[in-house]
Amino acid sequence: MPKTSKASNHYDVIIIGAGLAGLSSAVRLGMFGLKVLILEKHYVVGGLNSFYAKGGRKFDVGLHALTNFPSESSGKSSPLLKLCRQLRIPLDSLNLLEQSSSRISFGEIDLCFNNDFEYFLSEVEKVFPREKDRFQKLLSKMVEFPAYSVDAKEISTREILGQELGDGLLAEMLLCPTCYYGSARANDIDFPTFIMLFDAIFKQGLARPDRGIRALLDPLTDKLKALGVERRMNSPVKSIQADQVQVSEVILENGESFTSDHFISTCGGLETEKLLCLPDTPKSFDLGRFSIIESISVFDGHPRDFGWDETVIFFNKSDEFLYDQPVQLVDLNSGVICLPDNYGSKDSSEKKESKLRVTHPANFKLWSELSEEKYQKEKYLWEDVILQNGLKYLPLGEAKSELFKNRTQLTDTFTPRTIKRFTSHENGALYGSPTKKRDGSTKFSNLFIAGTDQGYVGIVGAMLGGIAVANNQILRNL
Amino acid sequence: MNKDNIKQIVLDIIAEIAPDEDLSEVKSDIRLREQLDLDSMDFLDIVMELRKQHGIDVPEAEYRQLESLDSSANYLLPKFESGATA
Repeated sequence: MPKTSKASNHYDVIIIGAGLAGLSSAVRLGMFGLKVLILEKHYVVGGLNSFYAKGGRKFDVGLHALTNFPSESSGKSSPLLKLCRQLRIPLDSLNLLEQSSSRISFGEIDLCFNNDFEYFLSEVEKVFPREKDRFQKLLSKMVEFPAYSVDAKEISTREILGQELGDGLLAEMLLCPTCYYGSARANDIDFPTFIMLFDAIFKQGLARPDRGIRALLDPLTDKLKALGVERRMNSPVKSIQADQVQVSEVILENGESFTSDHFISTCGGLETEKLLCLPDTPKSFDLGRFSIIESISVFDGHPRDFGWDETVIFFNKSDEFLYDQPVQLVDLNSGVICLPDNYGSKDSSEKKESKLRVTHPANFKLWSELSEEKYQKEKYLWEDVILQNGLKYLPLGEAKSELFKNRTQLTDTFTPRTIKRFTSHENGALYGSPTKKRDGSTKFSNLFIAGTDQGYVGIVGAMLGGIAVANNQILRNL
Repeated sequence: MNKDNIKQIVLDIIAEIAPDEDLSEVKSDIRLREQLDLDSMDFLDIVMELRKQHGIDVPEAEYRQLESLDSSANYLLPKFESGATA
Protein backbone atom coordinates (compact mmCIF):
# COMPACT_ATOMS: atom_id res chain seq x y z
CA MET A 1 0.00 0.00 0.00
CA PRO A 2 1.79 3.16 -1.13
CA LYS A 3 1.83 6.01 1.36
CA THR A 4 2.78 9.57 0.60
CA SER A 5 6.10 10.60 2.07
CA LYS A 6 4.33 13.14 4.22
CA ALA A 7 2.11 10.53 5.82
CA SER A 8 4.92 8.12 6.61
CA ASN A 9 6.97 10.92 8.14
CA HIS A 10 4.03 12.24 10.14
CA TYR A 11 3.50 11.19 13.75
CA ASP A 12 1.02 11.76 16.54
CA VAL A 13 3.90 12.52 18.90
CA ILE A 14 7.63 13.06 18.41
CA ILE A 15 9.77 12.72 21.52
CA ILE A 16 13.27 14.20 21.64
CA GLY A 17 15.50 12.15 23.96
CA ALA A 18 15.49 8.49 24.98
CA GLY A 19 16.20 9.09 28.67
CA LEU A 20 13.89 7.81 31.36
CA ALA A 21 11.37 10.63 30.86
CA GLY A 22 11.24 10.17 27.08
CA LEU A 23 11.00 6.38 27.25
CA SER A 24 8.29 6.52 29.92
CA SER A 25 6.13 8.99 28.04
CA ALA A 26 6.59 6.94 24.86
CA VAL A 27 5.35 3.78 26.62
CA ARG A 28 2.24 5.61 27.83
CA LEU A 29 1.45 7.06 24.42
CA GLY A 30 2.24 3.88 22.50
CA MET A 31 0.13 1.84 24.91
CA PHE A 32 -2.99 3.66 23.73
CA GLY A 33 -2.26 3.39 20.04
CA LEU A 34 -0.56 6.67 19.20
CA LYS A 35 2.04 6.78 16.46
CA VAL A 36 5.23 7.80 18.26
CA LEU A 37 8.80 8.52 17.16
CA ILE A 38 11.71 8.87 19.61
CA LEU A 39 14.81 10.73 18.46
CA GLU A 40 18.02 10.19 20.44
CA LYS A 41 21.39 11.69 19.63
CA HIS A 42 23.39 9.13 21.62
CA TYR A 43 23.82 5.48 20.63
CA VAL A 44 22.47 4.13 23.94
CA VAL A 45 19.24 4.84 25.78
CA GLY A 46 18.98 6.18 29.33
CA GLY A 47 20.27 9.77 29.14
CA LEU A 48 21.86 10.62 32.49
CA ASN A 49 20.94 7.15 33.71
CA SER A 50 22.73 5.24 31.04
CA PHE A 51 25.41 2.57 31.05
CA TYR A 52 28.66 1.75 29.32
CA ALA A 53 31.26 -1.01 29.18
CA LYS A 54 34.95 -0.69 29.92
CA GLY A 55 37.56 -3.38 30.47
CA GLY A 56 34.89 -6.07 30.12
CA ARG A 57 32.83 -4.59 32.99
CA LYS A 58 29.50 -2.87 32.82
CA PHE A 59 29.06 0.52 34.48
CA ASP A 60 25.96 2.55 35.28
CA VAL A 61 26.38 6.28 34.69
CA GLY A 62 23.92 7.89 37.05
CA LEU A 63 22.44 5.29 39.31
CA HIS A 64 23.67 5.58 42.91
CA ALA A 65 20.31 4.70 44.28
CA LEU A 66 16.76 4.23 43.25
CA THR A 67 14.96 6.35 45.84
CA ASN A 68 11.31 5.96 46.97
CA PHE A 69 11.74 2.32 47.99
CA PRO A 70 8.30 1.27 49.24
CA SER A 71 9.56 0.43 52.73
CA GLU A 72 7.33 -0.97 55.44
CA SER A 73 7.07 2.23 57.47
CA SER A 74 5.77 4.62 54.79
CA GLY A 75 6.13 2.84 51.48
CA LYS A 76 2.48 2.52 50.48
CA SER A 77 2.45 6.11 49.25
CA SER A 78 5.63 5.65 47.22
CA PRO A 79 5.44 7.12 43.72
CA LEU A 80 7.49 4.12 42.59
CA LEU A 81 4.37 1.97 42.94
CA LYS A 82 2.42 4.46 40.84
CA LEU A 83 4.90 4.50 38.05
CA CYS A 84 5.19 0.70 37.91
CA ARG A 85 1.42 0.53 37.55
CA GLN A 86 1.31 3.24 34.88
CA LEU A 87 4.01 1.55 32.83
CA ARG A 88 2.70 -1.94 33.62
CA ILE A 89 6.07 -3.10 34.85
CA PRO A 90 5.66 -5.26 37.96
CA LEU A 91 7.68 -3.89 40.90
CA ASP A 92 8.87 -7.44 41.66
CA SER A 93 10.50 -7.68 38.24
CA LEU A 94 13.01 -4.99 39.26
CA ASN A 95 14.42 -7.27 42.01
CA LEU A 96 15.10 -4.31 44.24
CA LEU A 97 17.87 -4.75 46.79
CA GLU A 98 17.61 -2.49 49.84
CA GLN A 99 20.46 -0.39 51.17
CA SER A 100 22.32 -1.67 54.25
CA SER A 101 22.64 1.68 56.00
CA SER A 102 23.88 5.07 54.94
CA ARG A 103 25.40 8.10 56.63
CA ILE A 104 25.66 11.87 56.50
CA SER A 105 29.11 12.76 57.81
CA PHE A 106 30.07 16.34 58.78
CA GLY A 107 33.49 16.56 60.41
CA GLU A 108 33.18 14.49 63.57
CA ILE A 109 29.38 14.35 63.50
CA ASP A 110 27.49 11.46 61.87
CA LEU A 111 23.80 10.97 61.16
CA CYS A 112 22.96 7.43 60.06
CA PHE A 113 19.85 6.27 58.25
CA ASN A 114 18.39 3.17 56.64
CA ASN A 115 15.01 2.29 55.12
CA ASP A 116 13.27 2.56 58.50
CA PHE A 117 12.32 6.22 59.01
CA GLU A 118 11.99 5.72 62.78
CA TYR A 119 15.70 4.91 62.92
CA PHE A 120 16.56 8.22 61.24
CA LEU A 121 14.31 10.07 63.70
CA SER A 122 16.08 8.37 66.62
CA GLU A 123 19.46 9.34 65.12
CA VAL A 124 18.43 13.00 64.83
CA GLU A 125 17.21 12.90 68.44
CA LYS A 126 20.44 11.28 69.64
CA VAL A 127 22.78 13.68 67.84
CA PHE A 128 20.64 16.81 68.19
CA PRO A 129 18.64 16.28 71.44
CA ARG A 130 17.78 19.97 71.76
CA GLU A 131 16.28 20.02 68.28
CA LYS A 132 13.68 17.32 68.97
CA ASP A 133 10.60 19.55 69.15
CA ARG A 134 11.71 21.91 66.42
CA PHE A 135 12.51 19.00 64.09
CA GLN A 136 9.05 17.51 64.70
CA LYS A 137 7.52 20.89 63.92
CA LEU A 138 9.53 21.06 60.70
CA LEU A 139 8.31 17.58 59.70
CA SER A 140 4.69 18.65 60.23
CA LYS A 141 5.28 21.77 58.17
CA MET A 142 6.71 19.61 55.38
CA VAL A 143 3.68 17.31 55.43
CA GLU A 144 1.31 20.29 55.22
CA PHE A 145 3.21 21.99 52.39
CA PRO A 146 1.73 21.15 48.94
CA ALA A 147 5.12 19.98 47.62
CA TYR A 148 3.68 17.66 44.98
CA SER A 149 1.28 20.09 43.32
CA VAL A 150 2.23 21.54 39.94
CA ASP A 151 2.21 25.13 41.21
CA ALA A 152 4.11 24.58 44.48
CA LYS A 153 5.98 27.75 45.52
CA GLU A 154 9.72 27.42 44.98
CA ILE A 155 10.82 29.07 48.22
CA SER A 156 14.32 28.71 49.68
CA THR A 157 14.92 25.69 51.90
CA ARG A 158 17.92 27.39 53.53
CA GLU A 159 15.65 30.20 54.72
CA ILE A 160 13.01 27.83 56.05
CA LEU A 161 15.50 25.59 57.86
CA GLY A 162 17.13 28.73 59.29
CA GLN A 163 13.78 29.82 60.73
CA GLU A 164 12.63 26.42 61.94
CA LEU A 165 15.78 24.88 63.40
CA GLY A 166 17.99 26.18 66.23
CA ASP A 167 21.15 24.29 65.32
CA GLY A 168 22.58 25.30 61.95
CA LEU A 169 24.52 22.05 61.67
CA LEU A 170 21.34 19.97 61.46
CA ALA A 171 20.12 22.23 58.65
CA GLU A 172 23.41 21.75 56.76
CA MET A 173 23.27 17.99 57.25
CA LEU A 174 19.73 17.83 55.84
CA LEU A 175 20.68 19.99 52.87
CA CYS A 176 23.66 17.83 51.87
CA PRO A 177 21.93 14.61 50.70
CA THR A 178 18.91 16.43 49.28
CA CYS A 179 21.01 18.86 47.24
CA TYR A 180 23.27 16.09 45.92
CA TYR A 181 20.31 13.97 44.83
CA GLY A 182 18.51 16.69 42.98
CA SER A 183 19.11 20.41 43.37
CA ALA A 184 19.63 22.47 40.24
CA ARG A 185 20.06 25.62 42.35
CA ALA A 186 23.41 26.82 43.61
CA ASN A 187 23.89 26.38 47.36
CA ASP A 188 20.21 25.84 48.07
CA ILE A 189 17.27 23.69 47.06
CA ASP A 190 13.71 24.85 46.57
CA PHE A 191 11.40 23.73 49.36
CA PRO A 192 9.05 21.49 47.34
CA THR A 193 12.01 19.60 45.87
CA PHE A 194 13.56 19.33 49.33
CA ILE A 195 10.35 17.74 50.65
CA MET A 196 10.09 15.33 47.71
CA LEU A 197 13.70 14.24 48.16
CA PHE A 198 13.41 14.01 51.94
CA ASP A 199 10.41 11.71 51.49
CA ALA A 200 12.15 9.76 48.73
CA ILE A 201 15.42 9.23 50.65
CA PHE A 202 14.40 9.07 54.32
CA LYS A 203 10.67 8.32 54.59
CA GLN A 204 10.67 5.78 51.76
CA GLY A 205 14.20 4.61 51.12
CA LEU A 206 17.13 3.65 48.94
CA ALA A 207 17.33 0.53 46.82
CA ARG A 208 18.96 -0.70 43.64
CA PRO A 209 17.69 -3.12 41.03
CA ASP A 210 19.96 -6.18 41.07
CA ARG A 211 20.93 -5.62 37.43
CA GLY A 212 21.40 -1.88 37.83
CA ILE A 213 19.78 0.63 35.50
CA ARG A 214 19.23 -1.95 32.76
CA ALA A 215 16.58 -3.57 34.94
CA LEU A 216 14.53 -0.46 34.16
CA LEU A 217 15.74 0.35 30.66
CA ASP A 218 15.29 -3.17 29.23
CA PRO A 219 11.57 -3.57 30.03
CA LEU A 220 10.93 -0.04 28.71
CA THR A 221 12.66 -0.69 25.38
CA ASP A 222 11.07 -4.15 25.11
CA LYS A 223 7.65 -2.61 25.60
CA LEU A 224 8.31 0.10 23.05
CA LYS A 225 9.32 -2.51 20.51
CA ALA A 226 6.17 -4.56 21.19
CA LEU A 227 4.03 -1.41 20.87
CA GLY A 228 5.61 -0.50 17.53
CA VAL A 229 7.09 2.77 18.75
CA GLU A 230 9.83 3.90 16.39
CA ARG A 231 13.18 4.87 17.85
CA ARG A 232 16.09 6.44 16.01
CA MET A 233 19.46 6.41 17.73
CA ASN A 234 22.47 8.53 16.66
CA SER A 235 19.93 11.08 15.44
CA PRO A 236 20.69 14.50 16.88
CA VAL A 237 18.03 17.15 16.29
CA LYS A 238 19.29 20.29 14.58
CA SER A 239 16.22 22.46 14.92
CA ILE A 240 12.57 22.59 15.86
CA GLN A 241 10.44 24.56 13.39
CA ALA A 242 7.61 26.67 14.79
CA ASP A 243 5.37 29.60 13.92
CA GLN A 244 4.01 31.96 16.60
CA VAL A 245 1.80 29.40 18.29
CA GLN A 246 2.65 25.89 17.12
CA VAL A 247 5.54 23.60 16.34
CA SER A 248 5.34 21.93 12.94
CA GLU A 249 8.43 19.77 12.46
CA VAL A 250 11.86 18.75 13.66
CA ILE A 251 14.91 18.68 11.43
CA LEU A 252 17.81 16.33 12.15
CA GLU A 253 21.50 17.14 11.77
CA ASN A 254 21.52 14.85 8.73
CA GLY A 255 18.80 16.90 7.04
CA GLU A 256 15.87 14.51 7.51
CA SER A 257 12.68 16.09 8.80
CA PHE A 258 9.58 14.79 10.55
CA THR A 259 6.20 16.39 11.21
CA SER A 260 3.90 15.62 14.11
CA ASP A 261 0.78 16.75 15.93
CA HIS A 262 2.55 16.95 19.32
CA PHE A 263 6.16 17.28 20.42
CA ILE A 264 7.80 16.39 23.73
CA SER A 265 11.35 17.56 24.30
CA THR A 266 13.38 16.03 27.12
CA CYS A 267 16.74 17.66 26.33
CA GLY A 268 16.22 20.53 28.79
CA GLY A 269 14.28 23.80 28.81
CA LEU A 270 17.12 26.04 27.69
CA GLU A 271 18.36 23.45 25.19
CA THR A 272 14.86 23.17 23.69
CA GLU A 273 14.65 26.96 23.32
CA LYS A 274 18.00 26.85 21.53
CA LEU A 275 16.66 24.27 19.04
CA LEU A 276 13.68 26.55 18.40
CA CYS A 277 16.07 29.24 17.08
CA LEU A 278 14.17 32.26 18.41
CA PRO A 279 16.90 34.91 18.41
CA ASP A 280 14.87 37.83 19.74
CA THR A 281 12.94 35.97 22.44
CA PRO A 282 14.14 36.25 26.05
CA LYS A 283 15.13 32.89 27.53
CA SER A 284 12.60 31.52 29.99
CA PHE A 285 15.10 29.15 31.66
CA ASP A 286 18.22 30.14 33.61
CA LEU A 287 21.50 28.37 33.01
CA GLY A 288 22.30 25.68 35.60
CA ARG A 289 25.88 25.41 36.79
CA PHE A 290 26.14 22.46 39.16
CA SER A 291 28.13 19.60 37.71
CA ILE A 292 30.13 16.68 39.06
CA ILE A 293 33.12 14.44 38.63
CA GLU A 294 32.92 10.81 39.65
CA SER A 295 35.71 8.28 40.09
CA ILE A 296 34.92 4.59 40.04
CA SER A 297 37.25 1.86 41.28
CA VAL A 298 36.63 -1.80 40.55
CA PHE A 299 38.29 -3.96 43.20
CA ASP A 300 38.65 -7.64 44.13
CA GLY A 301 36.32 -8.96 46.79
CA HIS A 302 33.55 -7.29 48.78
CA PRO A 303 33.54 -3.96 50.64
CA ARG A 304 32.93 -6.01 53.80
CA ASP A 305 36.48 -7.40 53.42
CA PHE A 306 37.61 -3.89 54.32
CA GLY A 307 35.01 -3.45 57.05
CA TRP A 308 32.95 -1.09 54.88
CA ASP A 309 29.32 -2.12 55.19
CA GLU A 310 27.50 1.14 54.45
CA THR A 311 25.85 1.90 51.09
CA VAL A 312 25.95 5.69 50.59
CA ILE A 313 27.97 8.28 52.54
CA PHE A 314 27.29 11.99 52.05
CA PHE A 315 30.31 13.78 53.45
CA ASN A 316 31.39 17.31 54.20
CA LYS A 317 34.69 18.36 55.73
CA SER A 318 33.43 21.27 57.83
CA ASP A 319 30.23 22.44 59.52
CA GLU A 320 29.21 24.45 56.49
CA PHE A 321 27.95 22.80 53.34
CA LEU A 322 28.77 24.58 50.09
CA TYR A 323 26.90 23.23 47.06
CA ASP A 324 28.05 25.11 44.00
CA GLN A 325 30.28 25.16 40.98
CA PRO A 326 33.78 25.22 42.49
CA VAL A 327 36.41 27.81 41.52
CA GLN A 328 38.89 24.98 40.80
CA LEU A 329 38.39 21.88 38.66
CA VAL A 330 37.07 19.89 41.65
CA ASP A 331 35.79 20.72 45.16
CA LEU A 332 37.15 18.10 47.55
CA ASN A 333 35.40 19.57 50.62
CA SER A 334 32.25 17.59 50.13
CA GLY A 335 31.01 14.67 48.10
CA VAL A 336 29.18 11.37 47.97
CA ILE A 337 30.53 7.85 48.27
CA CYS A 338 28.52 4.90 47.00
CA LEU A 339 29.30 1.22 47.52
CA PRO A 340 26.64 -0.32 45.23
CA ASP A 341 27.58 -3.86 46.28
CA ASN A 342 26.27 -3.12 49.77
CA TYR A 343 22.71 -3.05 48.45
CA GLY A 344 21.20 -6.34 49.53
CA SER A 345 24.59 -7.34 50.86
CA LYS A 346 23.17 -9.48 53.65
CA ASP A 347 21.71 -12.02 51.23
CA SER A 348 24.26 -11.95 48.47
CA SER A 349 26.82 -14.67 48.13
CA GLU A 350 30.58 -14.16 47.73
CA LYS A 351 31.43 -11.21 45.51
CA LYS A 352 34.31 -11.61 43.15
CA GLU A 353 34.46 -7.94 42.29
CA SER A 354 32.91 -4.75 43.68
CA LYS A 355 32.80 -1.05 42.95
CA LEU A 356 33.56 2.11 44.89
CA ARG A 357 32.20 5.37 43.50
CA VAL A 358 33.24 8.79 44.77
CA THR A 359 31.53 11.96 43.50
CA HIS A 360 32.49 15.63 43.94
CA PRO A 361 31.26 18.99 42.62
CA ALA A 362 33.26 20.01 39.54
CA ASN A 363 33.55 23.04 37.27
CA PHE A 364 32.27 22.42 33.74
CA LYS A 365 33.85 25.48 32.18
CA LEU A 366 37.34 24.68 33.47
CA TRP A 367 37.09 21.03 32.39
CA SER A 368 35.79 21.90 28.95
CA GLU A 369 38.51 24.46 28.27
CA LEU A 370 41.30 21.86 28.63
CA SER A 371 43.01 20.54 25.52
CA GLU A 372 42.44 16.84 24.91
CA GLU A 373 45.93 16.00 26.17
CA LYS A 374 45.57 18.15 29.28
CA TYR A 375 42.09 16.77 29.88
CA GLN A 376 43.32 13.18 29.96
CA LYS A 377 46.19 14.15 32.23
CA GLU A 378 43.97 16.02 34.72
CA LYS A 379 41.47 13.20 34.72
CA TYR A 380 44.21 10.73 35.57
CA LEU A 381 45.64 12.96 38.34
CA TRP A 382 42.28 13.66 39.96
CA GLU A 383 41.29 10.01 39.89
CA ASP A 384 43.88 9.22 42.56
CA VAL A 385 43.33 12.44 44.56
CA ILE A 386 39.58 11.76 44.69
CA LEU A 387 40.06 8.17 45.79
CA GLN A 388 42.56 9.05 48.53
CA ASN A 389 40.28 11.82 49.80
CA GLY A 390 37.22 9.56 49.71
CA LEU A 391 38.93 6.84 51.73
CA LYS A 392 39.13 9.29 54.68
CA TYR A 393 35.38 8.96 55.08
CA LEU A 394 35.36 5.15 55.18
CA PRO A 395 36.11 3.28 58.42
CA LEU A 396 39.94 3.03 58.69
CA GLY A 397 39.97 3.94 55.03
CA GLU A 398 43.29 5.76 55.06
CA ALA A 399 45.04 2.86 56.78
CA LYS A 400 43.66 0.49 54.15
CA SER A 401 44.62 2.66 51.22
CA GLU A 402 47.62 0.52 50.19
CA LEU A 403 45.63 -2.74 50.44
CA PHE A 404 42.79 -1.19 48.45
CA LYS A 405 45.17 -0.04 45.75
CA ASN A 406 46.64 -3.52 45.43
CA ARG A 407 43.19 -4.98 45.02
CA THR A 408 42.06 -2.40 42.45
CA GLN A 409 41.52 -3.87 39.00
CA LEU A 410 40.30 -0.90 37.04
CA THR A 411 39.47 2.73 37.55
CA ASP A 412 37.43 5.12 35.49
CA THR A 413 36.38 8.72 35.90
CA PHE A 414 33.65 10.73 34.34
CA THR A 415 33.76 14.50 34.30
CA PRO A 416 31.32 17.36 33.59
CA ARG A 417 32.16 16.81 29.92
CA THR A 418 30.78 13.27 30.17
CA ILE A 419 27.60 14.60 31.81
CA LYS A 420 27.14 16.97 28.88
CA ARG A 421 27.63 14.14 26.40
CA PHE A 422 25.02 11.93 28.04
CA THR A 423 22.44 14.59 28.92
CA SER A 424 23.08 17.37 26.36
CA HIS A 425 22.58 19.83 29.25
CA GLU A 426 24.31 23.17 28.73
CA ASN A 427 27.20 23.61 31.17
CA GLY A 428 27.09 19.87 31.95
CA ALA A 429 24.45 20.87 34.52
CA LEU A 430 23.65 17.63 36.35
CA TYR A 431 20.10 18.64 37.29
CA GLY A 432 19.49 21.07 34.44
CA SER A 433 18.20 24.60 34.83
CA PRO A 434 17.25 26.10 38.22
CA THR A 435 14.06 27.25 36.46
CA LYS A 436 11.52 24.43 36.39
CA LYS A 437 8.25 23.91 34.54
CA ARG A 438 6.34 21.26 36.40
CA ASP A 439 3.47 20.75 33.97
CA GLY A 440 5.82 20.80 30.97
CA SER A 441 3.86 23.46 29.07
CA THR A 442 5.61 25.96 26.79
CA LYS A 443 4.41 29.00 24.86
CA PHE A 444 3.71 26.67 21.95
CA SER A 445 0.41 24.84 22.27
CA ASN A 446 1.72 21.47 21.02
CA LEU A 447 5.25 21.49 22.49
CA PHE A 448 5.96 20.20 25.99
CA ILE A 449 9.13 19.70 27.96
CA ALA A 450 9.60 16.60 30.09
CA GLY A 451 12.32 15.24 32.32
CA THR A 452 14.91 17.12 34.34
CA ASP A 453 13.50 20.60 33.78
CA GLN A 454 10.08 19.63 35.04
CA GLY A 455 11.77 19.49 38.43
CA TYR A 456 10.73 15.99 39.45
CA VAL A 457 14.17 14.67 40.25
CA GLY A 458 15.88 11.33 40.27
CA ILE A 459 15.05 8.25 38.28
CA VAL A 460 11.57 7.97 39.75
CA GLY A 461 10.94 11.70 39.21
CA ALA A 462 12.08 11.63 35.58
CA MET A 463 9.82 8.68 34.81
CA LEU A 464 6.81 10.17 36.60
CA GLY A 465 7.41 13.50 34.86
CA GLY A 466 7.36 11.82 31.45
CA ILE A 467 4.20 9.93 32.39
CA ALA A 468 2.51 13.13 33.65
CA VAL A 469 3.20 15.02 30.41
CA ALA A 470 1.92 12.12 28.30
CA ASN A 471 -1.20 11.79 30.48
CA ASN A 472 -2.13 15.39 31.18
CA GLN A 473 -0.98 17.16 28.03
CA ILE A 474 -1.83 14.56 25.40
CA LEU A 475 -3.93 11.54 26.44
CA ARG A 476 -6.52 13.56 28.40
CA ASN A 477 -7.12 15.80 25.40
CA LEU A 478 -7.55 13.10 22.76
CA MET B 1 -25.02 -5.88 25.98
CA ASN B 2 -26.45 -5.30 29.44
CA LYS B 3 -25.32 -3.54 32.59
CA ASP B 4 -23.73 -6.67 34.05
CA ASN B 5 -21.63 -7.11 30.91
CA ILE B 6 -20.43 -3.55 31.25
CA LYS B 7 -19.55 -3.97 34.92
CA GLN B 8 -17.49 -6.98 33.96
CA ILE B 9 -15.76 -5.04 31.19
CA VAL B 10 -14.79 -2.31 33.68
CA LEU B 11 -13.60 -4.91 36.22
CA ASP B 12 -11.51 -6.64 33.56
CA ILE B 13 -9.87 -3.33 32.71
CA ILE B 14 -9.12 -2.64 36.37
CA ALA B 15 -7.60 -6.12 36.69
CA GLU B 16 -5.34 -5.30 33.77
CA ILE B 17 -4.16 -1.89 34.98
CA ALA B 18 -3.95 -2.72 38.69
CA PRO B 19 -3.04 -6.42 38.89
CA ASP B 20 -2.15 -6.08 42.58
CA GLU B 21 -5.72 -5.17 43.62
CA ASP B 22 -8.11 -7.83 44.93
CA LEU B 23 -11.34 -7.41 42.94
CA SER B 24 -13.29 -10.33 44.36
CA GLU B 25 -15.26 -8.25 46.89
CA VAL B 26 -15.91 -5.09 44.89
CA LYS B 27 -19.42 -3.74 45.50
CA SER B 28 -21.29 -2.16 42.59
CA ASP B 29 -22.91 0.68 44.48
CA ILE B 30 -19.86 1.95 46.36
CA ARG B 31 -17.30 4.29 44.85
CA LEU B 32 -14.34 2.35 43.45
CA ARG B 33 -11.87 4.70 45.15
CA GLU B 34 -13.30 3.78 48.54
CA GLN B 35 -12.76 0.08 47.94
CA LEU B 36 -9.58 0.03 45.91
CA ASP B 37 -6.30 1.90 45.83
CA LEU B 38 -7.05 3.82 42.61
CA ASP B 39 -6.09 7.40 41.79
CA SER B 40 -6.80 9.82 38.95
CA MET B 41 -4.03 8.25 36.85
CA ASP B 42 -5.78 4.88 37.11
CA PHE B 43 -9.12 6.37 36.08
CA LEU B 44 -7.42 7.85 33.03
CA ASP B 45 -6.30 4.32 32.17
CA ILE B 46 -9.85 2.99 32.48
CA VAL B 47 -10.99 5.69 30.05
CA MET B 48 -8.10 4.98 27.67
CA GLU B 49 -8.77 1.24 27.68
CA LEU B 50 -12.48 1.82 26.97
CA ARG B 51 -11.40 3.88 24.00
CA LYS B 52 -8.79 1.39 22.77
CA GLN B 53 -10.74 -1.82 23.36
CA HIS B 54 -14.31 -0.67 22.64
CA GLY B 55 -14.01 2.60 20.72
CA ILE B 56 -15.88 4.51 23.43
CA ASP B 57 -15.01 8.13 24.15
CA VAL B 58 -15.41 9.54 27.64
CA PRO B 59 -14.81 13.31 27.72
CA GLU B 60 -12.69 14.48 30.64
CA ALA B 61 -15.60 16.36 32.20
CA GLU B 62 -17.47 13.05 32.48
CA TYR B 63 -14.73 10.93 34.08
CA ARG B 64 -16.60 11.08 37.37
CA GLN B 65 -19.44 9.07 35.84
CA LEU B 66 -17.11 6.10 36.30
CA GLU B 67 -16.84 6.46 40.07
CA SER B 68 -18.67 3.17 40.84
CA LEU B 69 -19.52 0.06 38.81
CA ASP B 70 -23.24 1.00 38.90
CA SER B 71 -22.65 4.55 37.71
CA SER B 72 -20.27 3.22 35.02
CA ALA B 73 -22.90 0.77 33.76
CA ASN B 74 -25.60 3.45 33.66
CA TYR B 75 -23.36 5.91 31.89
CA LEU B 76 -21.72 3.49 29.44
CA LEU B 77 -24.74 1.38 28.42
CA PRO B 78 -26.13 3.91 25.89
CA LYS B 79 -22.64 4.42 24.53
CA PHE B 80 -22.14 0.68 24.01
CA GLU B 81 -25.63 0.37 22.46
CA SER B 82 -25.19 3.24 20.04
CA GLY B 83 -21.79 1.83 19.08
CA ALA B 84 -23.32 -1.59 18.36
CA THR B 85 -26.03 -0.21 16.09
CA ALA B 86 -23.76 2.27 14.31
